[in-house]
Amino acid sequence: MSNFSFIAETDWRCACCNKNLQASKVNVEYMGSVFNVELMVCPDCGFVLIPEDLALGKMLQVEQLLEDK
Amino acid sequence: MDQQQLRNFEARCIQEEQPFCTAACPIHIDVRPFMACIAKGDMRGARRVLDRTMPFADIVGRICDQSCRTACKRREIDSPLAIGSLERYCVSTVPAVIKPPKLPGKGGSVAVIGSGLSAMTAALDLARKGRNSLILTCDEAIGGTLRTYAEELLPAQALATAVETLDFYGVSIQFGCSLTNEFFQTIRQDHDAVFLDRDCADLHGLAVDCAHPDPFTLGIGREGCFAGGGCLENSYSVIKQVEDGRRAALTIERYLQQVSLTAQREREGACPTRMYTVTTGIQSQQEVLPADQQAGFTAAEAVQEAARCIQCQCMECVKECTFLQEFHDYPKQLVRKIYNNEAIVQGTRSANRMINSCSLCGQCQVVCPNDIPVADVCLASRRSMVEKSTMPPSAHDFPLQDMEFSQSDFFAMTRHQPGSDSSRFLFYPGCQLAGSAPQAVEQTYLHLTQQLSGGVGLMFGCCGIPAHWAGRQELFAKTMQDFLFEIEEMGNPIIITACSSCYSIFKEFAPNLSLRSLWQILEDIDLPEQRGLIPQQPMAIYDPCTARHEPEIRDSVRRLTKKLGFSIEEHPLSGKLADCCGYGGLMQFANPELGGKTARKKGQRSVHDGLAYCSMCRDNLASSGKRIAHLLDYLFPAADPEDPALRRNPGFSRRHENRARLKQRLLTTLWHEESDMTPEYKKIELFITPLIMELLNSRHILEDDIQKVIFQAEQTGRRLVDPESGHFLASYKPVRVTYWVEYEPGMQGFIIHNAYSHRMSLPGDVK
Ligand code: SF4
Ligand code: SF4
Ligand SMILES: [Zn+2]
Repeated sequence: MSNFSFIAETDWRCACCNKNLQASKVNVEYMGSVFNVELMVCPDCGFVLIPEDLALGKMLQVEQLLEDK
Repeated sequence: MDQQQLRNFEARCIQEEQPFCTAACPIHIDVRPFMACIAKGDMRGARRVLDRTMPFADIVGRICDQSCRTACKRREIDSPLAIGSLERYCVSTVPAVIKPPKLPGKGGSVAVIGSGLSAMTAALDLARKGRNSLILTCDEAIGGTLRTYAEELLPAQALATAVETLDFYGVSIQFGCSLTNEFFQTIRQDHDAVFLDRDCADLHGLAVDCAHPDPFTLGIGREGCFAGGGCLENSYSVIKQVEDGRRAALTIERYLQQVSLTAQREREGACPTRMYTVTTGIQSQQEVLPADQQAGFTAAEAVQEAARCIQCQCMECVKECTFLQEFHDYPKQLVRKIYNNEAIVQGTRSANRMINSCSLCGQCQVVCPNDIPVADVCLASRRSMVEKSTMPPSAHDFPLQDMEFSQSDFFAMTRHQPGSDSSRFLFYPGCQLAGSAPQAVEQTYLHLTQQLSGGVGLMFGCCGIPAHWAGRQELFAKTMQDFLFEIEEMGNPIIITACSSCYSIFKEFAPNLSLRSLWQILEDIDLPEQRGLIPQQPMAIYDPCTARHEPEIRDSVRRLTKKLGFSIEEHPLSGKLADCCGYGGLMQFANPELGGKTARKKGQRSVHDGLAYCSMCRDNLASSGKRIAHLLDYLFPAADPEDPALRRNPGFSRRHENRARLKQRLLTTLWHEESDMTPEYKKIELFITPLIMELLNSRHILEDDIQKVIFQAEQTGRRLVDPESGHFLASYKPVRVTYWVEYEPGMQGFIIHNAYSHRMSLPGDVK
């Protein structure tokens, strides 16, 4: 999953900061493995968006892979 | 699992044993694929099967005396397969397809005296093994007794082909030898070993006693000399010639390699098999005889006859079990995979999911002729995974949280009967029944208090079976310990369980408790007067898998249904053969699709409406589309007259809710205790359509989780917004899982549009 980019145009805005989300590098972690991936993030507060298709798609796959390691 | 345990399990599964025909065949022809090929018209494929094992198939295939035939399992149904005639059909219509390989020469020279089929086989087999073999015969042609066969039975061409074969593998033949003693002496000196084929008239002239070779090695008590073949009691068996020739070649090969001539040879020649094949239910189909006896089978006749082969195997366990079917395994393979999975230190443990998919229901052990305990193997493996911290966290997280909830103050409680300070009995309805049918639990309890004297206490909680199934030994032991402590505090009352799972757990892990099932108790007391309408049409009892070893409970249930006036139609997979509903072993959590399949299969065992007495069976089968009711639905009907067979599975959130409300309600109405322990976030009102509810259940997301997400999003303001729709999107990670909820503030509370979850952590996860 490292070096993957999951940036995509989104209608979601940060309600807190009233900002559009921007692509940004983020560390995500599971079972001791850390991946540096590009996600849509609020430039002010850092709120990271995980869209449904990512959570139930690639992310789930990687989780299950790591669980069997 | 250690090597020894692995071997023990492997040895008990007989699926890889030879089928009856192959075991009875002295050269173990692989009859099943041979038949399968012919049945699908693949005659070359069939010939290939013969070529692999049968020497001189053009000869043996035509005239074998088929000692396999009497062993054919089909004889139990109608008549055995015409194995010999089919072989004859095959070799007379298809020429050889493969030539088995010849190993590189490794020295050693063997003289074969005589030229019958035994001699031919021994010479051929040795040549293939890379030995120099030489046939010495007084005759002018090879074949011995074979030469007396009529042309229609054995065409001369078949013998000519055999000569070509011997030549191809480098066997030289000397015809017209005079078999004198001097000749024999020279031969013996010039070669490392000698085989004498007794199908040869001139052997009598030699001063060697060939009459009584050792049946195992064919040794005749003379260094390097072996003998076999020929007529026995004046009868000539073709396959016996082949068997002896092959056995002699194997002995001589061992002799040349200077290894034991006897070790591990039990499987040579016709041998017993432990194969187990059930033939009940197989349609009778008379043997196909060739219309023209002389000409033998036509292609169509051969196909038809071969199609009668039932492809003998065991698979008794796999026939019924969705889990074994799903993973295409019979236990011998499965146990090997589990063993290998445990041995992996670095790398992917690809059998994890399989190990966690078994329902641990024990059905296979009952149907298996050797009682293989697959459940024990899977459970032991789960325990070792937990111990080594290799258990995938997602496999059992959800049910373990459910268990935690049931053991928390939200549900767990223990009380003596109101107005009493001791309990002769203690009703333990179990977490799932309370989650599914709280009103039935309440009414059952009230009824018990009215009918039984000496005080009937009440205990809510979870027996710990999820932890047991998940391999979490420590957690389970703690649960049992706490439970036993409470029981002692209550003065060791007789425990009345409504759920067979609780019953099985207490029975196994707390054998000293006084334990009764609710059904046994109900049998002995008056039944409630206000009962539900008993349906006229027949119903099928669905025993839970956890009552597999409880015939008394199953009988009590049946007597109760009789007393109540049900008309019961039993189905074949009930009682000790009962399937699991998908909940067992936490299958439905580790492998939701398989859980669904398993529930559907159980539901389909009967065409009639189901009558369950386990609430998990009831609810899972209801979800699978089965019309099924719980026995308590009729004994203690709900106020609204809905058809109990149509009651919906409440789903996971509603179960929590039902348990918590039941406790609060009983505490207030029966014990007059005030207990509002509703946390702040629970006051968040939700509006969820049935469609979204279904989505939440399938994604294992509880209303509780959603309330937490919205509660903290609304408190902190940390959420995303879609300006177009006005929907919000927020996330929250209560423990290990991050939940995302898309919602919208509405009039009746928050309208839920979507929810999903993941386990990966993000920076600054909100906890
Ligand atoms: S039915 Fe087929 S597999 Fe079974 S014993 Fe007969 S020939 Fe062999
Ligand atoms: S029932 Fe299953 S485990 Fe038992 S011998 Fe047959 S295939 Fe093997
Ligand atoms: Zn922001």
